[in-house]
Amino acid sequence: MLTIKNLQAKVEEKDILKGLSLDVKPGEIHAIMGPNGAGKSTLGNVLSGREGYTVTGGEVLFNGKNILELDAEERAREGLFLAFQYPVEIPGVSNLEFLKASMDAIRLHRGEEAMDSMTFLKLAREKCKAVNLDQNFLKRGVNEGFSGGEKKRNEILQMMMLEPKLCILDETDSGLDIDALQVVAEGVNSQRSPDRSFIIVTHYQRLLDYIVPDFVHVLADGKIVKSGGKELALELEEKGYSWIENGEA
Amino acid sequence: MSQEVEKYIKSEYEAGFVTDIDAETLPPGLNEDVVRFISNKKGEPEWLLEWRLKAFRIWQEMEEPQWAHVHYPEIDFQAISYFSAPKSMEDKPQSLDEVDPELLRTYEKLGIPLHEQAVLAGVANVAVDIIFDSVSVATTFREKLAESGVIFMPISEAVHKHPELIKKYLGSVVPQKDNYYSALNCAVFSDGSFVYIPKGVRCPMELSTYFRINEQNTGQFERTLIIADEGSHVSYLEGCTAPMRDENQLHAAVVELVVLDDAEIKYSTVQNWYPGDSEGKGGIYNFVTKRAVAHTNAKISWTQVETGSAITWKYPSVILKGDNAIGEFYSVALTNNYQQADTGTKMIHLGKNTKSTIISKGISAGKSQNAYRGLVRMNPSAQGARNFTQCDSLLIGDKCGAHTFPYIESKHPSAVIEHEATTSTVSDDQMFLCQQRGIDPEKAVSMIVNGFCKEVFKELPMEFAVEAGKLLEVSLEGSVG
Amino acid sequence: MTEVAPLVTSETVNVKKIDFSRDALAFVKTQAHDAGLSEVRESGYAAFESLPFPTRKTEEWKYTSLHALTQQDYNQAAQNFDLEDASDLYVIEDLDAYRLVFVNGVFVEELSDSISQAGIELTTFSQANDKQRDLIAEYIGNIAETRRNLFTALNNAAVEEGVLLHVSKNIQLEKPLQIVHIVSQQEQASTAFGRCLLVLESLAEATVIEQFVSTNESQNLLLNQTTEIKIGDGAKLNHYRLHTEDETSLHFGGVYVDLNRDSQFESYQVALGGKIKRFDVLVNHNQAGSHCEMKGVYLPKNDQHVDIHSYIEHISANCTTDETYRGIMADRSKAVFNGRIHIHPDAQKSYANLSNKNLLLSNKAQINSKPELEIYADDVRCAHGVTVAQLDDKACFYLQSRGISRPEAEIMLSFAFINELLESIPLEPLRKNLRPLLAQQFSSNQDLTQHILDEDSGVHSEEGAS
Repeated sequence: MLTIKNLQAKVEEKDILKGLSLDVKPGEIHAIMGPNGAGKSTLGNVLSGREGYTVTGGEVLFNGKNILELDAEERAREGLFLAFQYPVEIPGVSNLEFLKASMDAIRLHRGEEAMDSMTFLKLAREKCKAVNLDQNFLKRGVNEGFSGGEKKRNEILQMMMLEPKLCILDETDSGLDIDALQVVAEGVNSQRSPDRSFIIVTHYQRLLDYIVPDFVHVLADGKIVKSGGKELALELEEKGYSWIENGEA
Repeated sequence: MSQEVEKYIKSEYEAGFVTDIDAETLPPGLNEDVVRFISNKKGEPEWLLEWRLKAFRIWQEMEEPQWAHVHYPEIDFQAISYFSAPKSMEDKPQSLDEVDPELLRTYEKLGIPLHEQAVLAGVANVAVDIIFDSVSVATTFREKLAESGVIFMPISEAVHKHPELIKKYLGSVVPQKDNYYSALNCAVFSDGSFVYIPKGVRCPMELSTYFRINEQNTGQFERTLIIADEGSHVSYLEGCTAPMRDENQLHAAVVELVVLDDAEIKYSTVQNWYPGDSEGKGGIYNFVTKRAVAHTNAKISWTQVETGSAITWKYPSVILKGDNAIGEFYSVALTNNYQQADTGTKMIHLGKNTKSTIISKGISAGKSQNAYRGLVRMNPSAQGARNFTQCDSLLIGDKCGAHTFPYIESKHPSAVIEHEATTSTVSDDQMFLCQQRGIDPEKAVSMIVNGFCKEVFKELPMEFAVEAGKLLEVSLEGSVG
Repeated sequence: MTEVAPLVTSETVNVKKIDFSRDALAFVKTQAHDAGLSEVRESGYAAFESLPFPTRKTEEWKYTSLHALTQQDYNQAAQNFDLEDASDLYVIEDLDAYRLVFVNGVFVEELSDSISQAGIELTTFSQANDKQRDLIAEYIGNIAETRRNLFTALNNAAVEEGVLLHVSKNIQLEKPLQIVHIVSQQEQASTAFGRCLLVLESLAEATVIEQFVSTNESQNLLLNQTTEIKIGDGAKLNHYRLHTEDETSLHFGGVYVDLNRDSQFESYQVALGGKIKRFDVLVNHNQAGSHCEMKGVYLPKNDQHVDIHSYIEHISANCTTDETYRGIMADRSKAVFNGRIHIHPDAQKSYANLSNKNLLLSNKAQINSKPELEIYADDVRCAHGVTVAQLDDKACFYLQSRGISRPEAEIMLSFAFINELLESIPLEPLRKNLRPLLAQQFSSNQDLTQHILDEDSGVHSEEGAS
């Protein structure tokens, strides 16, 4: 699904990723944990093609394709989805309109017909319910005036609608209370399938109680310094990141 | 603005073709003889010629206004031709079948329904008056409108057929000496639309005038007069286009609306005059005076979508004369490349409990300058009057300018005025979110811009709301991406 | 003071010639202290000569007619004032401040403090030593802008006496500086000039109060006061401009501020009305990270006129501006507020907000408000809001239903309208002093104002206790 080899990237002349490698196979869930400033969010942004991040070395193959050459929207159409740490507000553009434009573009890329409005609306309402958002949210501006939890649920709603191949959840759990966290986790779990993979970027082990990963990686100073199974997350929680950092140092 | 957004590609001005027809065009220059020529051409009565000459003399004494936030080389008023008419109009056609087919094709290209059959086939329920350069070439549905007593005809014809109405109302809202361009218009106006809606009549269809400047070096000076008699209602739409030419062309129109007690006029404009090329060459100078008088319980709603013209200078205004009168102004003004707009409204509250609403959305892109200029005045008689103003600016790119110059004057303690203005941009974060969801940058910008304009578009007649949205998309191409 | 020819005559104003002719100017020059003022005088004179005399068609003077000025000749003010009771006019109880007092534009040493603090240069122009003269020469006329206000040009042309405050790097001025301008009744129409130059070097801090007062007689003196302020990197100035002169006074003023990197300018303006009272505040955000906070209250009544123009120039990126003005217009008074925010092309990430709220208390009163945004950068957050309204009837009724008389209810609500701004004044003695003074504007009947003042003392005693 996704192969990252020795990826190096910088932001405003500062090296953030310093040779990161990762292999994600279909159906797998990888959790990436690490202290603040380790480069966790940078990874998601680099993979999805955000401007301002310069790749200085390494390669990223997504289903065999080198995606570093592609524009952000092309990567999205290939099936790469980023759930934002801080979802952006777009006043004036309704959620529904936004979702339709997004789905149309992605379906067109896959060679499918645009979904007719009735089917689309029905689906959107269904998914709204699944993430416990009132249907009125569909008519409101994208994330406009949403609470923190509502924004995160809206990200999951979009993920459900767009049916991507690889989902990167960038600190989706930050700022969520336990109820909201459960809703988000249920949403993610419902989307698990043998041909869909997840990269879950988080600072806290708590989310992994609800979304059980196949692998846990520790990212520190731009590299993966330790990998293991789900038990690694618990160990980290107990001993703190300094354990890894000091251990490696 | 991200580089991503700056990559967007160029588009062509779609209405920029030239129609190749024989035209009778007056040589450039302006003096009393030109005024007499125009008046004579129209077979006007003596009083109207005198009225024009008086305006001309006033104009000669006036100075071109300098206060607007626009810059352009001095206009040589002697280099402009003040009259141009297609030759085929020499013997006026009696019906559409007699109109030069080349002209009809022009309007077909522009997507304007002229043949009544096509209209009835369900395109839109609209009667159209077509002004080509200086003359009206066709007015559709006149018979049908006449059944309900509605008069819809070229103003040049109304001068002969309804002199009592013309004499009473022409210049009653915008007097000759009002301003430099209106004085010029009074002197040389060639044609325009005239509408009269009788007492208590609700006009059965949308009325529309379509303006086209075709001839080179020609100014267009049309004059529109709409009278809504007591308790009547009409919705009116005007559209404007012009060919792409390297020279700047002058358009100085006057629109007067008289809205008597309990009547309502909804006046919508989709202005898409040629804006000039991406280097700022050519384009229409659009200096327009539009004003309405609202009597007791009357309502006037101006809605405008301004995407064209090299320079726009226009302030559709409402004099809220009668008690409980309502004035509304909904505007989207988009400037791109080197376009300059200084536009807004004036709401003059005289009557008790009068209300006005101003919603202005300015979008600046490229190297353009876009200014809102508005006046809200509560006179000492305006007891209990209310105004609400919302002026929002959207900047796309860091080479453009967005400006807000509201004048707020109150002389009555019970009048309430609320004015708000904000400025925003299309942020990199918004663009990235859209792209990450697979949406093209072009589409993303257009979605955001349309969202920004939503409050205004919903005021347009339905058929034109979609058009307006598309127009914005086309006008914005080249500004981003 | 030597007798000089009339300064401004109706004739010269009309025909756009300065009242003191070139000869008079040359004469004044020979009399003046050699504080490097000749250059600014000459350029001021040239600027004044080149500016057209404003009419109602001059945008900057659209709502303020200067017709009254052209009705008489203006002479140099006479020093006819008895200094005995002067302190009643300006003393701010409990305020421990350095004080400099000018009467009709002339420095009065016996009413003023002599100040010495290390790192501080504080002097009048007339008493400046060599070092101080150099400082005056370095800064004077470099910050003030004459293009929009011919009275500032005139002030430049006539500059002679003034105040210099220079605060060295890392130094805090220990006490607030209170500069008092007293004007008194003149036998004939007169004019006087004042000048103030405040320079804060990097990381310096100071509080300066410019206070304008008059005797309780009918005034016929036109005071023209220009203040120039330079705030260095990371420095901070709290500036007050308090206008409480008699309603017959004439005032034209300008405050011009240059802000350097990360500097802060906090300004509080209080203006009762006058025959004509106009002042401009121009703030230049010259370098990144500077912050400007302006709060103003204008309260004209009777036939008074107040005109405040604020111009905020965001020249550099990452600067912020917060402006709040409140006006209450009573009787036949007229107020003009013009608030312009100009974001220059390189001033990305600017934040600027302007709020102007107005209450009209009478159907003969007028407000003309013109907030302006001129924006040439895209990544900015700018907004302005203006409201004009009368007192909320429902709130009035609510107070009445609790037994409060209608007049008192109106006063309470009017006062509430400006109270928020008053409360934000950091100098407590000043706040305490202003409350009764402003309350008095709403009614001279103490029964009607007692509650707003009682409430105040209650609040303050609690604060004092904590």
